[in-house]
Amino acid sequence: MSLDPLPLCLLFSSALFCLGLIGALARSNTILVLLGIELMLNAANLNFIAFWRYGPVTSPATGVMFVIFSIAVAAAEAAVGLALIIAVYRHQKNIRLQEANRLKG
Amino acid sequence: MNYTELLRAMVPEAALVIGALFVLTLDLAFGRRRTLESRLYIAVITGTVAVVAAMYGAFSSGLADSVFGGALILDELTMATRLGVLVLAWITLTLAGSTARLRHPAEFVAIVLFATAGFTLMAAAQQLLVAFVALELASLSLYILAGFDKSKPESAEAALKYFLFGGMSAAFLLFGFSLIYGLTGSIELHEISAHLAGHPPTPLLSVALVMVLVAFGFKAAAAPFHLWAPDVYEGAPVSSSALIASASKLAGLTLFVRLLWPGFGPGAGNVSTAAGAPGWLAIVACLSAASLLLGNFAALAQSNLRRLLAYSAIAHAGVMLLGVIAAGDAGNGPLFYYVFTYGIATVGAFGVIAVIERTSPCQRITDLAGLYRRSPLLTGCLAIYILSLAGIPPLAGFFGKFTVFAAALNLGGLAGPAGWLAILAIFLSAVALYYYLVILKQALVVAPAAATSSDPVTNRITVPADAAIVLVFAALVLVLLGLFPSVVLRIF
Repeated sequence: MSLDPLPLCLLFSSALFCLGLIGALARSNTILVLLGIELMLNAANLNFIAFWRYGPVTSPATGVMFVIFSIAVAAAEAAVGLALIIAVYRHQKNIRLQEANRLKG
Repeated sequence: MNYTELLRAMVPEAALVIGALFVLTLDLAFGRRRTLESRLYIAVITGTVAVVAAMYGAFSSGLADSVFGGALILDELTMATRLGVLVLAWITLTLAGSTARLRHPAEFVAIVLFATAGFTLMAAAQQLLVAFVALELASLSLYILAGFDKSKPESAEAALKYFLFGGMSAAFLLFGFSLIYGLTGSIELHEISAHLAGHPPTPLLSVALVMVLVAFGFKAAAAPFHLWAPDVYEGAPVSSSALIASASKLAGLTLFVRLLWPGFGPGAGNVSTAAGAPGWLAIVACLSAASLLLGNFAALAQSNLRRLLAYSAIAHAGVMLLGVIAAGDAGNGPLFYYVFTYGIATVGAFGVIAVIERTSPCQRITDLAGLYRRSPLLTGCLAIYILSLAGIPPLAGFFGKFTVFAAALNLGGLAGPAGWLAILAIFLSAVALYYYLVILKQALVVAPAAATSSDPVTNRITVPADAAIVLVFAALVLVLLGLFPSVVLRIF
């Protein structure tokens, strides 16, 4: 029995996406939430690479180009996220999400 | 691949980015020994020049079906959205220049310009990669703008919440895009559409569509993905809230409707009859109904003016999604008209809040008490914006609602969910009228609070000349577009 690599890659990336989603929703430490989001983005990158390598692709480098751009975007997103975490830390002296509850109604 | 063609199509983005870099350089070179006011003034003037240059570029770039191998499209919707977004950005910039108290004025203006470049690129995107990058350029700039007031903990908290929700929605969007790329083998909307038309829908494709819809639900603040909106509207600096509520909506809805109808159109299904084919229209209809109900009823309970505007924005998002449903049949005209006039009214309302906040805090609805004595000009403008949001006849908001509802009812009358959704929206407009009139009652009828009435002279609000000009301009636009709606609708 030969294993088809594309479904395996998709299963792995879906698992990674779910892991990231659970991490992002369940954690109270803001940096771990950010890590979860990065995991979700990387699961999508893995999909692109898998489809580019094993899928029925017409354009030669589209998947790789998309991944290069999305890695750059994810890096920018991490930079902005860490800056905002520092801004919150300056005011409440910790980064627990439960204590960021000034705004409600 | 024609690079001169690409260059001509992207003149607005180039003007905005060069303008942003120029603002930063100018402030770095000559801003050291100047006061904050003069630095802000110089930055806003430079930024306005960049926005006007971008408007000229958007107007003169002409129409083209496919630029640079299908990456961009320059149709009527692109041009209208670009000009609309630039007008809204210009109003925001001018209001920020006359009202904001910022420690880093040049950075604020530069980031507003970067966000606007993202919006104009979103309006022209015809390919998943360009759409994703444009959306992220706009979103990342908006996260920073929301957290711009470093002295207030609320601002930082609002920005963090916005970022976490937005980051998650970006991940959903990217995952959905990757599945669509894998299933159709292309990231160009035309080729995706051609592939979808030739193949039966698969379960994996439904997963991809749901993920893209979830992401856009977040961006458009549609229920049940609306949780960030009230917090961001309340905590962010007023001028940032104005941009998030107006220009970002217009660009987002344009990208959304372009992605859905020309791109995923064959998978749309049918909601104009009771037993229509399944497709993404059914999900959009559910989001629309949820936003209409939640937005209107939650707004009734609000005592904070900005949270009220946020819940009313969620309710309006419901009507906009109804416009998206109708856009397949009636074209993009009704949707664009509705979102643009909504943006003008919202940016105006936030502008009034910004001018009041120069002299006294303006968070609660009761803070508006006695506004008619403190500043008749602001009261008049606020009345026009709020009545337009409520949809009162001579103003643009009424005609926007009318065209969207008429387009939705034309789909199949009351034979299917779309028609009933329009009926629901009409009934909920009556609910909305109540909370809009609560705002106007405070501004027009209620006497000033005891502490202020003793000394009405010092409590007068002086409106800076440039803020007064843009506020009157926004009010005039609402009145004139309400009287002559064909000026906009004729474009499409």
